Amino acid sequence: MKKIINSALFIVYVGMFFVSCSDTDTQDENPDNNQSFYKEVLSDLALNVITETYRSLNAQALTLQNAVDAMSVGDENALTTAKVAWQQTRAPWEQSEGFLYGPVDTEGIDPAIDSWPVDVNAINNILNSGNPITQSLLESNNEARGFHTLEYFLWGLEGTKPASALTNRELEYLKAAAANLQSKTEELYSGWLVSQGNFAGNFINAGNTGSIYASQKSALQEIAEGLSIIADEVANGKIEEPLNGNNGSAKPEAEESRFSNNSKLDFANNIRSIQNIYLGNYAGNVNNGLSAIVSENDSSLDVEIENLITDAINTIEAIPGTFTEAIINNREAVAQAQQKVRALQTLLDSKLLPLMSGL
Amino acid sequence: MLSLSCEKDPEVGYEALPNLNERVLAGGETTVFLTSSNAFSTPAANLSGSDLNKHLDGDLQFESVFVSAPSEINGGVGPIFNNSSCVACHPKDGRSAFPSNINQISGFFLRTSLPGQAEMGGPRPVPNFGKQLQNQAIFGYEAEVQFAVSYIQRPEIFGDGTKVMLQKPVYGIAESYIPFPEGALLSPRLAPPVFGLGLLEAIPAFYILSNEDVNDSDGDGISGKANYVHDPISNTVALGRFGWKANTATILEQCAGAYLEDMGITSPIFPTETGMGQSNGNDGMGDDPEIALEVVDEVAFYCKTLGVPAARNLNEAAVQRGSQLFESIQCAKCHIPKMITEYNPIQVLSNQVFYPYTDMLLHDMGEDMADNRPDFLANGREWKTRPLWGIGLTQIVNGHTHFLHDGRAKNITEAILWHGGEATTSKEAFKNLTAEERSDLLAFINAL
Repeated sequence: MKKIINSALFIVYVGMFFVSCSDTDTQDENPDNNQSFYKEVLSDLALNVITETYRSLNAQALTLQNAVDAMSVGDENALTTAKVAWQQTRAPWEQSEGFLYGPVDTEGIDPAIDSWPVDVNAINNILNSGNPITQSLLESNNEARGFHTLEYFLWGLEGTKPASALTNRELEYLKAAAANLQSKTEELYSGWLVSQGNFAGNFINAGNTGSIYASQKSALQEIAEGLSIIADEVANGKIEEPLNGNNGSAKPEAEESRFSNNSKLDFANNIRSIQNIYLGNYAGNVNNGLSAIVSENDSSLDVEIENLITDAINTIEAIPGTFTEAIINNREAVAQAQQKVRALQTLLDSKLLPLMSGL
Repeated sequence: MLSLSCEKDPEVGYEALPNLNERVLAGGETTVFLTSSNAFSTPAANLSGSDLNKHLDGDLQFESVFVSAPSEINGGVGPIFNNSSCVACHPKDGRSAFPSNINQISGFFLRTSLPGQAEMGGPRPVPNFGKQLQNQAIFGYEAEVQFAVSYIQRPEIFGDGTKVMLQKPVYGIAESYIPFPEGALLSPRLAPPVFGLGLLEAIPAFYILSNEDVNDSDGDGISGKANYVHDPISNTVALGRFGWKANTATILEQCAGAYLEDMGITSPIFPTETGMGQSNGNDGMGDDPEIALEVVDEVAFYCKTLGVPAARNLNEAAVQRGSQLFESIQCAKCHIPKMITEYNPIQVLSNQVFYPYTDMLLHDMGEDMADNRPDFLANGREWKTRPLWGIGLTQIVNGHTHFLHDGRAKNITEAILWHGGEATTSKEAFKNLTAEERSDLLAFINAL
């Protein structure tokens, strides 16, 4: 998950420890200004990027639930609508994977939403049982609910399942799974909402009583590390395993969204998650991101990070055909995309994280 | 630079004991400097090359979710189990919260045994239930049991009149797939953090044993007893180091045991399904072992080489005052700050000085904490001293502060108040501190 480079952090930390023994804190020439500036960045990111991403995820999940509810055996249009809704729900989820801290982790929401692989035996056994398929039945089966279970039903193992091949029992399952996904996304969104769980408050009030973060720097580090972690996950997990997981050759069964052929978009959206946090943008709404801090300290690094993010997204999207085909037929293009994401991770580890530690 | 302490500090005025600066490096050279939710999940700072690659392979395995067999990937969970991945019980390599519903999938379970000892000196398995109760099963199979818990209120009153209401959990069996024997012992467990384990495994036995005082010959009221356990991998008697009662000799055994008992995944170390011979225990696949030795080995290596988070704020006056109290009310007698390693096959663990705050020994913790379930030499009142390193980061990493073997303490104050037995004098001393002193002590513990 997290090959965070520590050596640079170490030097900064030891330096700080020493300095903090002196009578005056010489780290910061203008602490008050920085404090309000950092608060602005942290508030923008917590409210306008992270909470907004979850708001969008929850709204899309509701659309997906409605689309699934409207499905019936043989209705190809309704199936297509549901598939599109699945992809549109998947997008904000993948764009949230640059910040997998807080309720998504501590409340066990990630495994409930995005467990992988799918337990096909469990699904079949549930289908074949006489039990009514309800949300509460699925609650005890992480591997038989969430995005990939829905994907399995909507596309089928080969990705080509027509609506005529669906059964009423499968529709019953789909409806329970879609409702469960929506309830989980709602829990996640509520967990961050200032008016409810207010996890966002930990960032907005970082350094003050009531926040789990003892300093604004610590909160900014959390955010920066999240970017490195997802870059690592994309390069060394999500791409590496299908590309090279079989002793250096392709391992197709290790591809996450292969029923829907959504993997390229998943990866690109993971990098967009980095982009959104870095720039402070979400859905065209421009705010202060980490870039605002980086550009004040090292404007060339700021440009470098921004460009590499764009480059990584473009290279992923330039992989020809589906990811499933590409790991066999266009391995070079996949390796190139992986290389770009790795380069991004290296840059974040070697430059961004030390910069944040040094604030 | 670290040795430059703040000696001039006139405000504190204590003698220069202990020297906290050297304790910043809680994990010696493995120490990582993170204060985020990733503080427990980062490779040792000094790890590189092929060791780092092996660690990262182990990381992947640690996060792998298992599904029912047959499956083209990660098949073999169950048929009876407690959870389906390592990370589910050790989220972010940290501590599980006590579940809001005791039978939901979580990092909590009950151990069981019959009174007395089995052949090798360990607990006696309960026929048709074993030594760990699985409250989950794959679809179509019945879990061994459903757990039950109720609470007894237990008030504690500080010297200054402040009252704390502790909740003492009482566990039972709500349902079982066949009648659960009367008189079988139950002992609760909640999954602990997994960083720094390689250092603990590498402490020389003589160093641990030098603190043993089984019969309290120095008369300080504190014993300290090593557990000697059967190590099924080497088939020898070995010093127990891991588990809440130090009933496990090695991390490799701990990992293989967790795959088998927690997840229902067989390995070459434990190739037989935990419920084999039970009506709910055989998946009929004939696919054992379900994972290769290499996988268990990678996960063990991963746990051994996770970095230890640095201590924080050790130059703050409150923390320094708290460290004095930690010594003076004798917390440090069992939560011994400093440990060492000598040569170790894993190079980054060799010759380290580090600060886990444990003596790795068993202590009588009193009647209220007792599980009354013996485990090798550990009797029903004895528990191993838990390391305290990283404890102050629990809220950030895991979003809760549920401590002790079953999470009964909801914060550090409650954890201290649960101490009894040999720790009674220390606990009473804690209760008689002023509010400000208590706050200083907590500031110190939270800095670890």
